[in-house]
Amino acid sequence: MLQFIKNAHIDFVGNRKIAITISVILIAFGIISEIFRGGINYSIDFEGGTLIQVRFTNDVQVSQVRDAMNTLNKGDAVIQRFGADNEFLVRTRSVENEEAQLEQIREVFAGINGEAGYEIRRLETVGPKIGKELRGDALSAILVAMIGIVIYISIRFQFMYAIGAIVALIHDVLITLGAFSELNMEISLTVIAAFLTIVGYSLNDTIVVYDRIRENVNTLRKESYKDIVNISINETLNRTLITSGTTMMAVVTLWAIGGEVIRPFAFALIIGIIVGTYSSIFIASPILIAWHGRLAKKKK
Amino acid sequence: MSGKLWTRVSLVVLLILIAAYVLYPSIKHFNLTDSEKKVLIEEGKLEALEKKIIHPGLDLQGGMHVVLEVDLEKLLKSRVRQGGLDDKITNLIESSIKDATENDTEFFSGFKRLANASDIRLALYFPSYEKGPNDDVVAALEKDAKDAVDRAEEIIRNRVDQFGVSEPNIQRQGEWRVIVELAGVTNQAQARSLIQATALLEFVLVREDSQLLQDVINRIDKAWVEMDAEKASMTGSDAAVAGETSAGEEVSITKMDTTVDEVSSLQQLLGEEGSDSLNVQGAGDINRPFSSLISVGSNVIWIPKKNFRLIQRYLEKPEFKEAIPSDSRLTWGSEARDIQGDGQEYYALYLLKNEAELTGDVVTDAKEAMGGFSGAEFVVHVTMNGEGAKKWAEITAANIDKRVAIVLDDRVQMAPVIRSKISDGRTQIEGLDDITEAKHMAIVLRAGALPAPMQIEEERSVGASLGADSVRQGTNAAMVGFILVVIFMAFYYRGSGLIADFALVLNLLFTMAILAGLGATLTLPGIAGLILTVGMSVDANVLIFERIREEIHKGKTVRAAIEAGYGKAITTILDANITTILAALVLWQFGTGTVKGFATVLFWGILSSMVTAIFITRTIYNIMTERHTLTKLSI
Repeated sequence: MLQFIKNAHIDFVGNRKIAITISVILIAFGIISEIFRGGINYSIDFEGGTLIQVRFTNDVQVSQVRDAMNTLNKGDAVIQRFGADNEFLVRTRSVENEEAQLEQIREVFAGINGEAGYEIRRLETVGPKIGKELRGDALSAILVAMIGIVIYISIRFQFMYAIGAIVALIHDVLITLGAFSELNMEISLTVIAAFLTIVGYSLNDTIVVYDRIRENVNTLRKESYKDIVNISINETLNRTLITSGTTMMAVVTLWAIGGEVIRPFAFALIIGIIVGTYSSIFIASPILIAWHGRLAKKKK
Repeated sequence: MSGKLWTRVSLVVLLILIAAYVLYPSIKHFNLTDSEKKVLIEEGKLEALEKKIIHPGLDLQGGMHVVLEVDLEKLLKSRVRQGGLDDKITNLIESSIKDATENDTEFFSGFKRLANASDIRLALYFPSYEKGPNDDVVAALEKDAKDAVDRAEEIIRNRVDQFGVSEPNIQRQGEWRVIVELAGVTNQAQARSLIQATALLEFVLVREDSQLLQDVINRIDKAWVEMDAEKASMTGSDAAVAGETSAGEEVSITKMDTTVDEVSSLQQLLGEEGSDSLNVQGAGDINRPFSSLISVGSNVIWIPKKNFRLIQRYLEKPEFKEAIPSDSRLTWGSEARDIQGDGQEYYALYLLKNEAELTGDVVTDAKEAMGGFSGAEFVVHVTMNGEGAKKWAEITAANIDKRVAIVLDDRVQMAPVIRSKISDGRTQIEGLDDITEAKHMAIVLRAGALPAPMQIEEERSVGASLGADSVRQGTNAAMVGFILVVIFMAFYYRGSGLIADFALVLNLLFTMAILAGLGATLTLPGIAGLILTVGMSVDANVLIFERIREEIHKGKTVRAAIEAGYGKAITTILDANITTILAALVLWQFGTGTVKGFATVLFWGILSSMVTAIFITRTIYNIMTERHTLTKLSI
């Protein structure tokens, strides 16, 4: 029988202070990074703007595209290489008179490599109004998901379990958000979709541990609550690692060969899965212990 | 096997068979070559097939998604009385727009508030509306703005045919927006301007001359035969160059054969109907290829829906221009109709005068109503301005009992018969089937006169080449991810891992089948969802297997360990999966197109995994433990 960790007896609960410190540092880094850039790095989906993915038939350098775009006096245009050589992403924030702007940009591309020397492979334009709406929708979606989860866990378990789960979730999303900010990646619609998936996935792990705690509370009556939690985490450790492992295999494959367009989405999932697995072991359960301790004190 | 096990096994087999059956059209469609597709389009069978398949999303097949919103600034300014557009009203309109955008509030209430605050009497600026207080004027303006969205939607619907895309999707979003989705559009700039261009409404006389119509048909037949012959000789010479003359001849023979086939099937078709109102000409005559595909009735050419695309494509060719007299034009009806009430739909092709008698800008209003002889018919009341009414009186007087076609953007919407001279510019159109049709005609008639300015608020276009890349990369990633997980499970759990792998394969099969059954759209995030599902759906089996291992450790027999493993794992699996399903549901509710695709796949993938990973794997264990008492389990 193959097993990652045989008869695990790791003192997760005892080391929870170290874990919490690490988490706090990670979250702080993320928040500081966001403060430095002046808020969340939204993509055009949420801020409005135009994104053009263009491919040139000949060798073209980023600087060429940048210089050419500068002639348009769009100071806020961002140009970056995208995957394969000669493919670029051009982003501008303004969408005033979309049609005319697009025509100008086409001329710029033609100027770089001739009328037939470029192909616009993707074009996304979002007006500021819709961007604002989408931002509101995304926020409310995440809130609704979290509230739904609190209700569900409160019904299936107890309210204190729900608190642990939600804290773990916020922890996961904050760290992933921070990672995006630190790596200068944008929060787009698909990234929000990934966040919601992380919410669902991270909970999945947490619930498996919770389920075992609930079961062990009934069978291991002699042990302290702390020990029960620790035993439960250890008992489910193999499962936690294997499932995270298979999911990681799938998601890393997606990140590696799924193409440039889906990469930010896959990246969010990778971070989310790592952090989610970690938090279900080190964050969600210790909070349960803390809450349980408070309840026990109150009873006395 | 025990009866209970039999039921389980048959249920599993049944599920697999259903899934395979549901998936078959998608696989068939996926494997179609372009030429096979063309044949199916011409036979009119592609549409039916496409209803039952997993649709590639716009991001996979290329295309554009456009959200249009009514341009209130333009609309309101155009409604201000002539010469009345002063700084005061301009400021009011502009600041109301700004206010609504910045504070995310409803425009018209803000407009009213600001107008009242700065003491502007709106009735002075918008005299064509209510004369009353600002409340009434704003209400009228709001109604007018909503009507503009209706008109814009109608205009786009009517035009979308010109893009030549399959399954265009036009949808209203809220009160002020229209979403247009066009798959496979290659010229986005053209599509964009077509969507936004102003509509042209014309009143054009139908050429009520059966001899002329017959001549036109004959000439089209001739041009068609010539063109086919040219094509056949060209394929022949091409083949000759390649040194395969005989093969070239074969091509032309089979081509003729198909023509004959189509003719006979058409004969059959009309024969079965036993109709006499439609008259098929030249059936079976290979010298009359056009005639044999159409019918003629009351000076209109009727084309069965299945022949529509083929004929439309042919008639667009320059060779046919000469077949039509210079003072006439052939114009399509706007939609296929079941004219004989027998379930067969026909497109109308009208021979119209080239020159329009009147254009839509003379229409001042059009309203649906109840009226007609009995007072219980659905009618549309049209009013025209003075100049229009004068011309209309002349036209109607000179053409009594003839038909006048109402043409919007080159599509005949209706061709009512002129019953009498109409001198006051107030026309009543009768003979509408129901209130929906009457409403539709009223919108069409208003569309030509009143501007419906719409601006693009959001656009997402993906080129076909990027879409193809995404399909390739996405499928590769899915396959590699799948294989990695399969190998890992077999490696880690040995025999039981293989059982889980079998369940995983079935999960993919079922998920795809559900998507096909729902006619769902598969987007790039959807493929990502499939990959994620592969990774996550083995979780149920991992949970079960780990439990079984624990139970075996405790010294239970294989059978008892399996029993206990499943029993204990099941609540955990349900609890854990329901949260993911919850997240998927929220995502579905919130998401736009591509994200929705992801949510759909995730939702069904997880749901199906519970069946495959629990029920089906259990069935396999049951079969294994049924006959022999297993002493050792490969896990």
